[in-house]
Parts: sequence; structure tokens; C-alpha cells
Amino acid sequence: MNRRPGTAAGGRGSGLVLRHAAAVTATAFALFPILFVVSAALNPLGTLSSASLLPGGASLDNVRGLFGTTPFPTWYANSILIAGLTAVLSVAVSAVSAYAFSRFRFAGRRIGLVALLVIQAFPQFLAIVPLYVIFSVISDNWPAFGLNSVWGVTLLYVGGQVGVNTWLIKGFFDTIPKELDDAMLIDGCTPGQAFRRVILPLSAPVLAISALLVFIATINEFLIASVFLTGDDSRTLAVGLFSLLADRRNANFGMFAVGTLLTAIPTVAVFQFLQRYIVHGLTAGAVKG
Amino acid sequence: MSTQRTRTGEGRGLPRPGDTGASRRGEAGTRGGSGETGERVRPQGSPGGPPARGRRARAVPARGWPGSPGAIAARFLVLGLIVAVALWAAAPLVSAGNWTGTAIVAVVTAAGMHVYLTPRRLPAKYLFPTTLLVLAFQVFPVVHTMSLALTNIGDGHLGTKQEAITAIETSSVRREPGSAEYRLTVAERDGELVFLLADGGRAYAGTAGGLRPLEGARLGPGGRVAAAEGYAVLTAAQASARGAEVTELAVPVEGGAIRSQGLSRAYRGRAELSYEAGCDCVRGPDPGAAAGSGAGTEAGAGQEGREKVWRADEKQGRFVAADGTALPQGWKVDVGLANLTAALTNPQVNAHFLGVFGWNVVYAVSVVALTAALGIALALALHHPRMRAVRVYRTLVVLPYAMPAFAMLLVWRDMFNTDFGLVNRMLGLEVDWLGEPLTARLSVLLVQLWLGFPYMFLIATGALQTIPSEYMEAAQVDGATAWHRFRKVTLPLLMLALAPLLVSSFAFNFNNFNGVFLVTAGGPFPADNPAVGATDLLITYTFRLAFGQQGAQYGLASAMSVYVYLIVAVLSIVSFRRTRVFQEVDR
Amino acid sequence: MRRSPHALAGALVLGLTLTACGGGGGTAGQSSGAPSAASDTTLLIWADQMRSATLKPFAEAFAEENGIKAEIVVVAQNQQQTFTTASQAGKGPDVIVGAHDWIGNLVQNGLIDPVQMTEEQLSGYVDVARKAVTYGGQVYGVPYAVESLALFRNTDLAPDAPESFEELVATGKKLKAAGKVEEIVGYPVSQQNGQSGDTYHLYPLYTSAGAHLFGTTPTGDPDPADLGVGTEESVAAFERIAELGEKGEGALKRSFTSDNAAAAFNEGKTAFMVAGPWRLADARKAGVEYDVTPVPGFKDAGPARPFVGVQSFFVASKGRNKALAQEFVTGTLASPEVARALFDAEPRMPALKQALEYAAGKDPDVAKFQAAAENGTPLPAIPQMVAIWVPFNTLIHSAVKGEPVPAAVAAAAEAIAGQLKQ
Repeated sequence: MNRRPGTAAGGRGSGLVLRHAAAVTATAFALFPILFVVSAALNPLGTLSSASLLPGGASLDNVRGLFGTTPFPTWYANSILIAGLTAVLSVAVSAVSAYAFSRFRFAGRRIGLVALLVIQAFPQFLAIVPLYVIFSVISDNWPAFGLNSVWGVTLLYVGGQVGVNTWLIKGFFDTIPKELDDAMLIDGCTPGQAFRRVILPLSAPVLAISALLVFIATINEFLIASVFLTGDDSRTLAVGLFSLLADRRNANFGMFAVGTLLTAIPTVAVFQFLQRYIVHGLTAGAVKG
Repeated sequence: MSTQRTRTGEGRGLPRPGDTGASRRGEAGTRGGSGETGERVRPQGSPGGPPARGRRARAVPARGWPGSPGAIAARFLVLGLIVAVALWAAAPLVSAGNWTGTAIVAVVTAAGMHVYLTPRRLPAKYLFPTTLLVLAFQVFPVVHTMSLALTNIGDGHLGTKQEAITAIETSSVRREPGSAEYRLTVAERDGELVFLLADGGRAYAGTAGGLRPLEGARLGPGGRVAAAEGYAVLTAAQASARGAEVTELAVPVEGGAIRSQGLSRAYRGRAELSYEAGCDCVRGPDPGAAAGSGAGTEAGAGQEGREKVWRADEKQGRFVAADGTALPQGWKVDVGLANLTAALTNPQVNAHFLGVFGWNVVYAVSVVALTAALGIALALALHHPRMRAVRVYRTLVVLPYAMPAFAMLLVWRDMFNTDFGLVNRMLGLEVDWLGEPLTARLSVLLVQLWLGFPYMFLIATGALQTIPSEYMEAAQVDGATAWHRFRKVTLPLLMLALAPLLVSSFAFNFNNFNGVFLVTAGGPFPADNPAVGATDLLITYTFRLAFGQQGAQYGLASAMSVYVYLIVAVLSIVSFRRTRVFQEVDR
Repeated sequence: MRRSPHALAGALVLGLTLTACGGGGGTAGQSSGAPSAASDTTLLIWADQMRSATLKPFAEAFAEENGIKAEIVVVAQNQQQTFTTASQAGKGPDVIVGAHDWIGNLVQNGLIDPVQMTEEQLSGYVDVARKAVTYGGQVYGVPYAVESLALFRNTDLAPDAPESFEELVATGKKLKAAGKVEEIVGYPVSQQNGQSGDTYHLYPLYTSAGAHLFGTTPTGDPDPADLGVGTEESVAAFERIAELGEKGEGALKRSFTSDNAAAAFNEGKTAFMVAGPWRLADARKAGVEYDVTPVPGFKDAGPARPFVGVQSFFVASKGRNKALAQEFVTGTLASPEVARALFDAEPRMPALKQALEYAAGKDPDVAKFQAAAENGTPLPAIPQMVAIWVPFNTLIHSAVKGEPVPAAVAAAAEAIAGQLKQ
């Protein structure tokens, strides 16, 4: 065990107790709305207002309802496919451009970086109309990437995520000493080789982190998916779940709650898998959304 | 826990070529990186052998035109690939005669070749995919939206003038009161569409030329013409394939025309409104007068007396009558800077701009400050070598971040209900959380705190790991108190690492539409002014102004969002400058 | 929930009816050659989640009969907006299912075509449905289901239907004092977000007190030139509403949304609830002994007039198969057989009289909701209605909260008038 000498005041028990108290409080704060959702999921007459923190009764009615009356597994599969693809592709593309921004000096570099940042701040609901224009053209010519196509929306998400990710990854690349790849170059490697053999392995944590952030953002994305993925086979979790609530007449919070909880599972799984990288990876810069 | 620390500690200093986990993750990047094919690929030494530290040298990217057969083959491969994709992309465009599209494909292809087939332009090789994606999916929508700001596009003004005229005429077709309904069979003769009509026992053939009796028709059981000599009866699918002709065909008869109603019935009707190019106007009976009689059976067919004329107004994009009333269907016209100035001069916008803007800034700053404070505090609490169950805490605390945000916003909204919400019931309170300005503001902040602190916690945890322990030891040797060490060593170092994140978090929350809209919808609204609510952000306020009053007014919405966008952009750039990120950029 | 047994029955009934009339109408003597050239014609229908399940068998049967394909697409959210955007880009559906109050907006944007039904066909629909789909003297949709608010009453707790709203409140208070219930009445004052008042639910009380939103034009459409908010009647109406509010009787509370009102009713925590037929299923499931009567008006005042919403089928102007769409909507979907089958598939009060009789025979609650809709007025379909919502919602909240009524009404009237003028 690599124990660091006395980070805090040695081994006084009271300090640890205080730390645990703080951690427990924060955990409780984090968990109580989620417990509420769990209780709504178990409550057969589920409206959120009749739910309390402790479930009134334990029933799997809502689970059955969700799987019996909706194509939930299809939504689930679509979401994971789209989120996974988007995560991998956008991180790949961003890492490459981040390398250029971090290691090369060229005309327009600074403007490019600023532009990438600023362009993100545009309100999304206004972009729907022009995006629709693009997609209807694409649909007419290349239906495989058009409306109701998982691939088209993936491309759109990748396009939406590269900006933020380039910043995040570039920030991390900047912290890798330039001497390392300089040495490679002197040894006769091309910049491409230096990138592959030095930068990428070293930045595995940040790549994992940005993949996770993209995954979360994509699986939660609602606005674009609700407009561009309307077919029975192409809807995503966010859209499908919202449709359970959107109909005022049949708003079913119970099924919605079950779906919400199930939606969190892949994210938690990915998080667990990446946890060892995350501690190191997040220091470089990005934001959810 | 300790493995983590060692691993990350080492990772920062030296590359570890043998770190398989890392290189596997890295492969994701190599695919995008294959863009540098065509550069020299040397089968050289162990991958990334320990670099000679301390040797300082200029980074001179290996240039020169590689002549090895492998490199040439690779270049041809890339060339082939680009050409193949370009051909695949261009084929449907060419066959559809879409020359603009074809030109765009050609330009992109040329740019791709230019970048990848020459040994120079190294940065461009790396930036090409990103540039394409950003141009298509980010820049184009923004520019397009901004161009909409110069038009009156919105409900009632979506399409072209021709579309408006078609809609006006189509929707003015009225069934002749009391007229017979025909059984319709769609047929063709010499390629021309014909309506075979049956009325009682008699049959007719109708074309755009007129109606004439049909001899030798055989009627089916439904009373429709089943077959007629010289005519080819179309099936539903065939008729539907010529659907546009079917709906447009009007067989002129006295006092109107026979039109199809679907594929099996036809009726006699008249288009009351018609467009005349000569006067650029629409003529028809005055709806105010006609309506009263139109409801009864005796329409004012005989009395053409009350005619009304709506003249095209190219400034407003609609047909306006002398009395100022307009037909509902209008079209899109350019309005120049009218929307942009309207957004500035509209008293509703002006009067409340400062108030909304002020709260908007407070909101964004508070969210960032609160989430950061809680996240950092928690990270510090868990950052202790003898702390147990850290992994468990971390997983649980991160859960809010893993739940779908929109769903949890709705859940929180219901938890704040005065009588039935969980918050009041658990605490035994009767606070009208979302009904009073102050508590509503606190509520939206609390919700955002809940959603956002796990993220800050993660980042802070990461940042803490990277603070070299020597600093702390040195401080401790100096005899600094724990608080002093935090203030003077930990916090400054943390902030250095977190600052860029805090700024982009600020930009995100400044425009956090869902965070407010799904919880309070901008309310509560004061009784004397329903336009602006206590928790309204500029973006929710804009949204309501543009979409809530006269239906969707995209033009105005675009104009207002251009301003909001400028504000956010300026604020972000300024704060980034202050946090020295741009110095970093220029490093 | 509504499930497959119903849908199956519906499909069966439909199959029978279609073969019955299909044999006579179309295919009999015509060219028997398979319409291979046009077999890729697809009738595209947009509906929400529930409606899509209901319509599926009917659309498929229609498609098979005509040798085409039919596709039903679920549009989960912002249907009207998405329909507009998609139509404008040439990617819209041929048929869309929606509420009649979209008509004004869709006509303004040139997105739906009139449906030319004969007077005989039209007279087959209940009056309110016919009125609802008529806009500017023209019929734009085929009505399918009618719904309006009614009063749900727990007959164990309150055996007798109240004559007036005051009586209802008195009964509710008595029950509350006796500890039998926790709330006087489950009246949804707020929309889901808890922040805006709910104009839809409050409208019956508002009209009972003699106030109106819009006057009526000669064509029978609501008249935006005659705004009822700001009149003396509207102030009086809100004074009466305020008396029932949080600083008055405490019967109307902003914390009530349609969801928690239903929850309270189903759990026996209140004896009364104002809700629509969509709450029936849950009430039955919860096992509450209930009765449904029209929403009572104020004492010594006019009747309460709930808004009536009419679900309708529309033919899209920019669809690719307009003729087919017209055929499907005015031919198939408007037929009594299909209307009955639609009811079997999903129990909503039919708009077609024949089907309504059939439905009332099968389900006594249908007749009760029919009675509740009798006094109703169609939800205004004119585009100007958009100007009402936000100010009126706020006005409701202010009144129920107990803020001075005249000032609030004046502010709302000013805001609405200002928007109408633009």
C-alpha cells in the first residue's frame, strides 16, 4: 500500500468520522430523489404524487407493463447502439483534431479553437429547422443516413460533440510534455506515429472520460431524437420514455420510473468500468450537455 | 484505491509502452488518425521506446516525399477510397439533377484529395473530419438560423407565395349545397386521366374538357362504374400513384366543377377564392356575408354582390383586403433588419431585459459556484489515505449524473408540490416552493445543484490526485494549519485545473433551457405582468416570446437568439481570457 | 391498460366489415393484374403512441384491400410542430391524427386539406364534434372521439350528485371535517409543471359565472375581436373562483394538478374530482365506487361549459398520397362499422352518433360523459387562442392564490389584447 505520509492531520479518528458524516450526507442528498423513483416504479398505481420515499407496495406491474405494452427493448438497443457509436466516433475524430490543435502551430489555430467553443452555445431548439432541411436532402439522396436512420442521427450527434471533446482532449494533450513526442520525431518517427505511440496511450484516461461524457449526453438527448427518429424501430429511450408521459390521458409514471432506472444501468456499468481512469481523466475540461 | 493512485501518478510522468489497457483504448483514436497515410511509415523499433529525456530539439515534422512502393500504394488506396465515396455520394445527386449538391460533393472531394494526397498540410490532415462535421452540423444550422432572422418566417408565413395561393384556393373549395354525390372510378384513356362517374343509374366520363355521358358502362355492386369500353380502370394503387392528378382534376360543369373526394367518390364544388395574376390579388365572396348563408342550404350562389378583394402585400407576405383583414395563409418574405430592431425596441423585451439578464447571471454563477463547492468539499472529504469505502461512496454519489436528466427534472418538479410533494411531506413544511419568487429560485438552484455536483465531484477528485504531495508536505513542515494549507496550496492548485471547466459550465448553465423550463416553466409569474416569471432565463423568456404569442415566429426567435448567443459568447470569451486559458492556447 | 384483446377484436370486426363492403366497391370487375408498379405506394399515418396501436389493424386492412402499404409512425412529442416542420420539408405524412384545435394553425400554414363530406355524412356526427372540425365554414377533419371534463364522485363518500359547485364544496368540507377525506375536491388548478394555471380545467367554472373568452363570428368561429377577458363578467367570475381559493374556502389549490387529483381520488382521499374520460381506467383499476355527472356550475348561475376536445383525422396538404388519404379518412375511417371497431379497440366516446349508441349500450359511462359534453363548447381552434394561454394561466394562479382579482384580470386582459394586436 502506497500510503502517503500525513495528508491530513495524521490518524485522528474524529477527522475520519467527520469525513464519513459529510460523505453520508452527500450520498443521502444524491440518493433520495432516486429512491423516490424506485418507489414510484414499484407502486402499481404509479403516479409520482402518490408515491412516497418508501414504496407502498412491491409490485412488478410496471415492469410487466413496460415490457408488455411498449417496444422497450428496441428503444434500449437503439439508445445503446447510438450512444456507443457516437461515443467512439466522436472521441476518435476529436482526438485527432485535438492533437493538431495541441501540437501544431498553424494559421487560424486560435480562431478555430475559439470558434469551436463559441459555436456550442447556440440554443438547440432553434437549430431543428435547418437540421431538418439537411436531413430531408440527405433522405432524398442517401436514405441510409436520412430521417429515421440510426446512422444519420449518430453522424449528427458526432458533429455536435466534436467541439466540446476537442477542447477537453486538447487540454489533456497539453499537459503531456512535448519533449516526449519531440524525442520520437527526432528518432525519425512521423507525427502520426508519435501521436499513436506516445500521445494516445498516455491519454487513455481522458479518452475514456470523454467517451463516457458523450455516452451520457447522447443517451439523454431528447430534442433531436424526438424529431428525427420517429419510426417504430428507430426510437430511442429518451423519446420512448417521454412518450409515456406526453399523453396527458395516459401518463404512466410507474412505467416511466422503471424505464428511467433501467436507463441508468448502462451508464453506471460504463462508469464502473472506467472508474480507474476517471479519477485521472476529468481534470482537463468539459461540461455535461 | 492505492493502485489507482500509483498508476495515475506514473502516467503523468512517463509513457508506459507496455500499458495494454491504455493502448487498447487508444485504438479508438487511430482510426481517425489513419488520415496520415501517405506519410512515411517506417517499420521501426519497439513502439515508443523510452524517449531520451532531456534532449531538447525543435520539433521538425518529417517532411519529404516518400518514394517507397508501400507509400505510393497507400496513396492510391486513399485516392480510390475518396473517389469511391465521392461517386457513391454524387450518383443520386446527379440523377436527381441536383447540381448544387453535386458541386458541394465535388468541392469536398477536391479538398479531401488536396489535403491527403500531398505530403504537406499536416494540421489539415488532422482537422479535416472535424471541420467537415462542424461545418455541416453546427455552422450551417447557426448560419441558416441567422439568415432566418432576416425573414418573417413563422406560423402563417412558412412557404412560398405559390404555396400560399394553392392553399387558399384549395381550402376555399365548397361542396355545392344539396348537390349530388357521384360514385367515382378513376380510369385512363390514352394516358389521360378520366373520372368515370355514376349517379343513380347514369354514367358519365369527365375530363378537364368537360363531362359527357358514358355509353356501355357496366356498374359494379357498389354503384361504381366497374368497366367501360375504351377506358382502362385504374386500381387504387395505380390511381394513387397519379394522386396529384386525381386531386387536381376538376371536371367543369355548370356552376362549378366535379372534383374527387378520395378515390371512390366525387362531388360538385366551387373554389370560392381565386387568384388573379393581373391584379396580383385574390377575389371571392365576402366571408362575413357568405358565412351566414353558407351555413344554411341556400348559398349565396346567385348573389355575387358582395365580392371582396385581397391584394398581395409583399411587405407583410399576405393578402390584405381594403378593410385591413387578411387571409390566414401567407408566405415568407424578407423583412431586412426588422426582427433585429424589433427585438431591441419591443417594449416587452426592453422593459424586462435587465431583470431577466441579472437573474440569468446570478443563476449561472450560483449553479457553478454551488456545484463546485459541494463537489470539491466532498472530494476533499473522501481524499484521505485512511478513508474507507471510497469506491462505494463514489459510485452512489455519481448516480444523479447517470440518471436521465430530463426525467429527474420532472421528478424534482413534483417533489416541490406544496401539498403532495415529497419535500414538504418529509420536512413537515407547507412552503409554496414554486409559487413564490424567492423559493422558486432557490428550488431551481437546488435541482441544478443535485444534477451537477457529481460531475464537479468527479473532476475535483481527479484534480486532487494530481496535486503533488510534496507541496502539502512542504506546507506541513512550515507548520501551516489545515485551513491555511487548503487556502494557500490546495485551493489555488485545484482552481487552476478546474477553471476552464467552470467557465464552460457557466456557458452551459447560462442557456440551461431544460433546467428551468421543465421545473418551473419560468414562473412564478407576477399577477400584474404575465410576461416574465421569476425564474425566467433569457432563453426561456425568448422561447415564450417567440413561440407563445402568435404561434411560432421563427424570424423573431432567431433574431432574439442571435442576441442571446452573442451575450453568451462574449461572456465566455471574456471569462476564458481571465482564466488564462487563452494563454494556454498560445503556449 | 388497453390491450391486445380489444385490438384483436377490432381487427376482426374490421376485417369482416371491409370484406363486406370491399367486395362491392373496388376490386370486383377491375383489371386483376397485380398493381406491381404502384405497390411501393405507402400511406403514411402519424399518430401518438396510443392511437397508433388502435389504428394499426385498420390501416393495414385498408392497405391490403387497395394493394398498397400503410405505415403508422408514432410521433411522441410536439406532434403539431413536427408535422409542420416535416411537411414543409416534404417529409410529412398523408394522414395525421390530432386534436381539432390544431386546425386554425394548420390551415394558416396551408398544411391540411378540407374533407368534403356530404351533409348526410356530417349529420351523422354529434353537433359539438361537427362544430369543432368546422373552421371558416369549411370542414377540415373527420371527427373520431369526443372528450370533455366531468365530475367524478365517490358514491360511498357522497351518494348524491351536487346541484351546484357550492353544494359540492359544502359536502367536501363536511367529509373533511369528519376525517373521511383529506381534500375537499380534486380540482386541477395547475398544469403538470405546477407553475401555470390550467385554463382547460378552470374554464367550466369561468363560464358558469357568465364570462367568456371569445365571442362568436357569423360563421360560428370564435371571434378574436370580441375578447371576454377584462369584462365585468370576467372579474365577477374570478371573484367567485377566488372565494373558493386558498384564502377562501380552500377548495381550489394551486398544488392540484390533474395527476395528483386523480391519485387523491383513487386513493379515497377526496370524494370529488374534475377530470376527463381518460381517468376512467385508473378509477376502475383502483376499485373506487364512482359516478360521473356534468361539472356543476355556481349556484344561481349559468351552466358550467367545459371545453370539448375532438380527436380527428386530418388529410395533409403536402402528403404524397392525398387521394388515398382522402379515401382512407372519409371512406374507411368515417364508416360506422369502423367507428364501432375503433371504440372496441379503445373506449373513447365516439363522435359518430351510430357508434355512440353502440358505445353507450356497451359502457354506461359513455352516456354520462355524453351528458357532460352536452353543455360544452369546442376548444377554440383559431390561431389567436395561443395569445390566451399564458396570461390566462397566470390569472388563474393569481386568483386562486388570493391576490386582488380586478388588477390581475386587467393585467391579463392587457397582455392578451396586446398580443392579439400584433
